[in-house]
Amino acid sequence: MLRRRPRGARAARAAGAERSALGLRRAALGYVGLFVALPVAALAARALADGPASLLAALRRPEAFTSLWLTFRLALALIAVNTVMGTLMAWVLVRHPFPGRSLVNALIDLPFAIPTIVTGLMLIVLYGPQGVVGRFLSERGVEIIYAKPGIVLALLFVTFPFVVRAVQPVLMELDRDMEEAAATLGASRWTVFRRVVLPALLPAILTGAALSFSRALGEFGSVIMVAGNIPLRTQTAPVYVYGEIESDNHAGALAVSLVLLLGSLFVLIVLHRLQTLGRRRDG
Amino acid sequence: MRYKRFIFNALFGIYGFGVLAAASGCGRGGDNPTDTLLLAAYTVPKEAYEREIIPTFQRHWQQKKGRRVVVQQSYEASGAQSRAVVGGFEADVVALSLEGDVDRIVEAGLITHDWHARPWNGYITRSLVVIGTRPDNPKAILDWADLARPDVEVLYPNPKTSGGAMWCVNAIWGAGLGVGGGATAAPDSAGARALVKGIQARVKVMDKSGRESVTTFERGIGDALVTYENELLLRTMQGRAISFVIPDATILIENPVAVVDRNVDKHGSREVAEEFVRFLHEEQAQHAFAHYGFRPASPKIMKEVSVHFPEPARLFTIADLGGWAQVRETLYGEDGVWTEVVQELARGR
Amino acid sequence: MAENATAFRRESPWGRRLLIAAVLVWFALLLLLPLAALVRGAWREGIGAGLDSLRRPEARQAFALTFWITLVAVTVNTVGGVALALVLVRQRFRGRLLLEGIVDLPFSVSPVVAGFMFLLLFGPHGWLGRWFEAGGIRVVYALPGMMLATIFVTFPFVTREVAPVFRECGLEQEEAARTLGASGWQAFWRVTLPSVRWGLAYGVTLTVARSLGEFGAVLVVSGSIIGRTQTATLHIHQAYADFHYAGAFAASLALALVSFILLACMEFLQRRARAGRS
Repeated sequence: MLRRRPRGARAARAAGAERSALGLRRAALGYVGLFVALPVAALAARALADGPASLLAALRRPEAFTSLWLTFRLALALIAVNTVMGTLMAWVLVRHPFPGRSLVNALIDLPFAIPTIVTGLMLIVLYGPQGVVGRFLSERGVEIIYAKPGIVLALLFVTFPFVVRAVQPVLMELDRDMEEAAATLGASRWTVFRRVVLPALLPAILTGAALSFSRALGEFGSVIMVAGNIPLRTQTAPVYVYGEIESDNHAGALAVSLVLLLGSLFVLIVLHRLQTLGRRRDG
Repeated sequence: MRYKRFIFNALFGIYGFGVLAAASGCGRGGDNPTDTLLLAAYTVPKEAYEREIIPTFQRHWQQKKGRRVVVQQSYEASGAQSRAVVGGFEADVVALSLEGDVDRIVEAGLITHDWHARPWNGYITRSLVVIGTRPDNPKAILDWADLARPDVEVLYPNPKTSGGAMWCVNAIWGAGLGVGGGATAAPDSAGARALVKGIQARVKVMDKSGRESVTTFERGIGDALVTYENELLLRTMQGRAISFVIPDATILIENPVAVVDRNVDKHGSREVAEEFVRFLHEEQAQHAFAHYGFRPASPKIMKEVSVHFPEPARLFTIADLGGWAQVRETLYGEDGVWTEVVQELARGR
Repeated sequence: MAENATAFRRESPWGRRLLIAAVLVWFALLLLLPLAALVRGAWREGIGAGLDSLRRPEARQAFALTFWITLVAVTVNTVGGVALALVLVRQRFRGRLLLEGIVDLPFSVSPVVAGFMFLLLFGPHGWLGRWFEAGGIRVVYALPGMMLATIFVTFPFVTREVAPVFRECGLEQEEAARTLGASGWQAFWRVTLPSVRWGLAYGVTLTVARSLGEFGAVLVVSGSIIGRTQTATLHIHQAYADFHYAGAFAASLALALVSFILLACMEFLQRRARAGRS
């Protein structure tokens, strides 16, 4: 790099650029390799070391299987709520100005900034038996905290921004001419939304949903605070992995970790597809 | 444009300041002649160590050797702590909840001496598994059987992460078996299993450690809490409204302490580590433990404070249940009683 | 909204108000109410006691440790992230797509699993752990492990924020600078880096936010030595379990306050970045 001077011959300069590009690439690959690829590979290798049979045996244990299934179901329930409410939120923020909109808009990102353990504490204070809302609900026989609704609430909190933030920019750039054209042709507002707006927003909504889903699969800090952690009933997969690590049952921890990892990979592939889909729609 | 650059530079400046501060922070390492000791303990005796035993030991070491000793402390659930030490956490002394967690370190080859060779078999404190209730016991919970009642919600920690929870389930199991107190009848496995199942069915939250279980209880969850006697004595001492009953049949908890040979040799801290463990056996330390609600392992001190620690009618030990190895297998193994009970309950729902 | 001329736009104001109200109620219930509860909880446990507990050495050391870990994670991920973004945008080579996929992976890996990976890799029998063990360097249950775990969970932020900006601004300015006689480094410092500064700053803010708040990954690899390897979040966890509710709430509130400042930064930087791009 030092050798590259303005008066140098063009060929020499090109060779130098080539060399520095290669150096940069090596550095970048080293960075990815050391901090991400190697740890992931270590996990995968260790999980597969004893052969697929023992892996399957560990997964077939009811605690392991149920924790995965519970996590999966809760994550699905979560994205069902999140896509609807997130899209509505984005819609209101973009299309319906109201006083204080910019403040609300800024606060949407709050869950990204607040530590998950603080989230857990907040929910315990609010919905625990000593909390205002918690007392009210428990007197009426509604259990939130230390039960499944508590887990969903924690997940809703931590994934709140994903759908909103995915849909918002697309909605802002959405061409209104189409909607107006459809409206002048006599389409009802609902039809316009369904036939014109929704298809345009769909890749963004799905992107937000996929991000929420993967976050929900992995969430730990807030969930361990508010879940009852009873095996087979209120124990999610990350909490199960934690318990197995702590009790030195690496086989169980490895198997469930690997499934979670594969889940994340799957979501990444979906996201990639969605991105190319969105780009194609743009072009 | 100019102010944009200003803000960017300001952010960069803050960052630069941080780096400088970090660099200077790294510079000041303590190099005055002090000894360091790393204590890895389970969560429950934290107050006893932190507030009384360690400060007293530091004075003791100063008088004896004329040197300062810094005791670095880590308090995690017993199983987690043991796993960490095996996994490379370089604790000099471990103070754990149960024998099995020390044995895991022995098996890993980190403890090479016979830790049972110390006075009182290597244990420094004792306690009982008891039932905590709301003030004045509104649900009239008197014995284990009451915990299986449908109107009672129970808390105990998860045996997977907490040694304390194993003691709790062991107590229920032993009470159901009918061992201890000079019992002569054959152990009643079926009855014990029914009791474990009945109580597990009423469990509402299983926290990571015994400590967190008490915290959850204090947050207003549950009607009864299965935990250590010392923990509840401590909370009573700290002025919290919590009652407890000592069931007729319960288990005697014995908490071990050991020097981790490989780590003390690596750190060159054997002398101070050995002295610390010896100190824990002395009257001063045993009194301190008693003050924080533990039953002292020293028979002499125990006699002095016995008025605070009533003896239950049928007290049994882990040996009455066949020892830790067998208990781990029959209760918590892959086909263990507790494991199966949890599965059955989940399937029944 | 002056162009609301068509029939389609003349919607009933009540329907619209209802929609706004519904969304705002949802927002308040989910985000604001828990926050208010935390403030109230801290208040009820006593602000004085809370402040006192924040001043205690273990709390101060925990916050200081979080600060150092954040600093390291930010440094590594800024330098590495910018280099990686450059490579991803400007170079074509085999395996580039795979690389893109790997970059995003830490977003979706559970923090516990992330911590577990480092336990496996650097534990006494791990691939690298064996090697470090021989060299007498502790990685897991010590500071380096906690830093590695934090770097892992914050890995994608800088790369992901910077790469699109690189893509948009292209090579022209940089090449112009080169033709005018700037060296590679000069062109990078004077032209390339300033052009991505807002994206970079946003990525760094996200990195800081996540590093400050990381719990699961750090919990698994930390030895939790009070005052040594206990971060702010681990301190909150311990204080809560040790019945120091006032301390737990005060520390939570302090972290939440930092989050608010970061949030303000994010909002500002996002606007700047958007303005810079258009």
